[in-house]
Amino acid sequence: MTGIEILLLTAFGGVLFTCFTGRISSSLRNIAAVILSIVLVVLVALLYDKNGETVFYRGFFGIPMVLRINTLSWFFAIAISTLGCLSVIFSLGYMRDRKNTSFYYSMLLLVNSAMLGVVFSGDMFSFFIFWEIMSWSTFLLISYNRGPAVGAGLKYIIMSIIGSMAMLAGIISLYTVYGTLNIADLSHLVLSSSTPGHQIFLLIIFGFAFGIKNAVVPLHTWLPDVYTEAPSPFSAVIAGMLTRMGVYGFLLIIYVILGAARSLHTGTIPGFNHILAWLGAITIVIPTFIAMLQNDAKRLLAWSGIGQGGYMILGIAFGTNLGVAGGIFHTLNHAIYIVLLFMSVAAVQYRTGGVRDLNSLGGLIKKMPVAFFGALIGICGLIGVPLTNGFVSKWMIFKTLITGGAPFLAFAALIGSWGTILAAYKLLHNMFLGQLPERFSNTRQSPFSMKLPMIVLSFTILLFGILPGLPLKVINNIVVSFGFGSLDVSLWGIVSETGMLNTINLFAVILAGLAVVWLFFRIGARAVPVNQSDNYAAGAAVPGDRYNYTVKFYDPLTRTISPYLRDIIDSLYQKIAVFTGCVCNGIRKIYTGYIGNYIMYIVLFVSLIIIVQMVWSPW
Amino acid sequence: MESMVMHTIELLVSPLLALLIGIFFLGLSRKIAARIHWRYGPPITQPIIDIIRLLSQKSANHGVAFNIGLILSLAGSLTIVLFLPLGRIAPLSDSGGMLVILYLMLIGPLGIAISSGASANPNASIGVSRKLLLSMGYELPFLLVVLAIMTAYHTTSLTEMVSVQQATGWAIVSFPLVLSGIAYLMILPAMLGVRPFEVVGAPQEISSGPLVEYGGPYLALATLQHAFALFIGVSLFVNLFLGGAANPVFFFLKMLVVFSLGLFVNAVFPRLRIDQAIRYLWRWPSLIAFAGLILVCVTGR
Repeated sequence: MTGIEILLLTAFGGVLFTCFTGRISSSLRNIAAVILSIVLVVLVALLYDKNGETVFYRGFFGIPMVLRINTLSWFFAIAISTLGCLSVIFSLGYMRDRKNTSFYYSMLLLVNSAMLGVVFSGDMFSFFIFWEIMSWSTFLLISYNRGPAVGAGLKYIIMSIIGSMAMLAGIISLYTVYGTLNIADLSHLVLSSSTPGHQIFLLIIFGFAFGIKNAVVPLHTWLPDVYTEAPSPFSAVIAGMLTRMGVYGFLLIIYVILGAARSLHTGTIPGFNHILAWLGAITIVIPTFIAMLQNDAKRLLAWSGIGQGGYMILGIAFGTNLGVAGGIFHTLNHAIYIVLLFMSVAAVQYRTGGVRDLNSLGGLIKKMPVAFFGALIGICGLIGVPLTNGFVSKWMIFKTLITGGAPFLAFAALIGSWGTILAAYKLLHNMFLGQLPERFSNTRQSPFSMKLPMIVLSFTILLFGILPGLPLKVINNIVVSFGFGSLDVSLWGIVSETGMLNTINLFAVILAGLAVVWLFFRIGARAVPVNQSDNYAAGAAVPGDRYNYTVKFYDPLTRTISPYLRDIIDSLYQKIAVFTGCVCNGIRKIYTGYIGNYIMYIVLFVSLIIIVQMVWSPW
Repeated sequence: MESMVMHTIELLVSPLLALLIGIFFLGLSRKIAARIHWRYGPPITQPIIDIIRLLSQKSANHGVAFNIGLILSLAGSLTIVLFLPLGRIAPLSDSGGMLVILYLMLIGPLGIAISSGASANPNASIGVSRKLLLSMGYELPFLLVVLAIMTAYHTTSLTEMVSVQQATGWAIVSFPLVLSGIAYLMILPAMLGVRPFEVVGAPQEISSGPLVEYGGPYLALATLQHAFALFIGVSLFVNLFLGGAANPVFFFLKMLVVFSLGLFVNAVFPRLRIDQAIRYLWRWPSLIAFAGLILVCVTGR
């Protein structure tokens, strides 16, 4: 039994075990879930720098089902298990007084296990099976809250099934053409004997499946509802890793199976990549601008999450070593800060009794300092402020685009970044800054189980921002395994052909600057702490409880741009869905349930056939 | 060893010079505006006197984020200066190029935004909201301008852009880049936050916006931050379009010319509304900058 088999057995066995202990006692189940998720992190960490594959089942029509591990799968696996673990810990507090928690925990762990299965799959068949387990268990958990959540879940699963069917068609086509589904074998076979036509078919059909999962515009419409309606710690998992399985899929099809970096630069792949890059650019710009119009904290994060997905696609599709590395790094970074942001919003939601409407919150900074700090670091990462991880990966992507001679793609990426500032500041301001409304004056701090994951994640964001070499060394190995040239990565920076980035210098300078300014500030006279109502109001009395500016925060801009930013695609899909519903309803009316009617159908059909035979005699 | 010492001296000198120039510009702007309005105006050293006086005054404190945001903002501006070539002084230019500067330029406004947001005064929030909207307005053409230059010179390093211009002539007089230069000049008042784009401060409307709750040392820091922001905005233009300079003196003279242009606009124009400002910024400057970028792409091949 190899390490991966033990890992997956533990993961899936643990799901059953958690479900079982839930019958006995809920605290026992909580402990089991936490320990299990920590064990998974340790097991994945132990597999570092291992390569290999094992056949774990031969029974299915003689297709061997294979598990394999390499740097790419390890990289995704460690992110999945760590973020999953933090999410489980966060759920301890968040889910405390809810019903059906056994179901919640086992589904959360099942989603994580299925994602681990996806990244460790060595053949497309087991990939598909784990992919389906992942989609279905996600669907069940999205609908956990009932009400509008059921609709969101349905939307998700319908789009997911469409994607899966496309993927199944692709897998069948791979099997009929090459006679194997093993990914390692496929990558050799495709490289030596594929036709451009088949390549483009594979790219489009798999691109469709993974594009739905990664929410690339115009396949993004499931995402805002799902992120908003799912239980918040699970929203974090969906936003952090589950959506990014699409990125893993794109890497798998473009760079592993089709081997784009090695020899197919002359085939159809550059054309596909070009279109994909532009889709990525559109995915950055439009959702980011939609994000700043949102008034629901989770929905705002959801739309900015779609936008961030665009950066990953853009980096990966551009197809240079710096760009692909940037895309992969951004996947990790995005996972870290979006999980942190969802946790921060969830903490506020938990303490304010489920409020996530940005118009009614405000001034929570003094009540929930840790959540504020988490949100602050999180939005800094989201924007890409220097010294956070998001900056490094964005720098890599911009650098690639500019030196690669694509200034318009770079423009889309940069302007998306500036749009993110508006959305992110609105989130931070409307929740934590400004005046505290009277009804939240008794809000307490978040419990320790919520603070711990937030602190860990904030620390990681700064760590990867100051020493980006830690993850970049692993990412460099991935990029090299695709067949690209190696990047010149040191612990604190990147040297590319046309300029470098040195984050430790940046860190030292900002630290020194802070010290100088702080000293200067200390020289001045002391300031007197005052109450929030002790404010300058131009001579008028400060009105209690309503002296806040949150509603219509960007009204002048909103009025200008909102007519252009309706989700046309979503309403198109809705219309298609309604139309399909009508057609199916019409068909259903045929089945009346009376035997006589069915006999009449048969008689009519037979007589129609007889008439056809008598008149044209085709048979 | 020699170079180490020089490097350290540069690290210390460059922010000091920037600060001096920035404060001088603050004083100068009041003087020139006064002369245009047929007033006598305060002495040119008035900002220094004000800063010293403010440091000794008491003020109101609205909590930790109120302090840290402001300190962070000033430290961020100080850091940018080290990345900008000032004459030949550019102590940190090998640690990151134009992209780092672009992103460091976020720290200043973001720090002020957090600090004044924490002050719990709606006037401050309105000011920050306007600041973000205005920056959205001018960043669109500004990014197009910067991309045009980076594409034309095939580099993201600001020092390389300067040295190319010193060898082949200023960017503002070379053909496709002249459009980008014009676009930059058109948005420069918005970047410096002077009239007609003085929507953020707007003393008569929203009591100086983000600055409303600052007093004493806080206001001193905010003034210094403003001085740095003036320096950064103008010196970026000099570096990108006027070929930098061989030494700090010429650099200062070029900055003075550019800044005076901004002052003359400032002194005679009334204030736009924020939506008018965005509409203006997204129309002509953006179109010109866009045309500039396309021409650079076409002629660069």
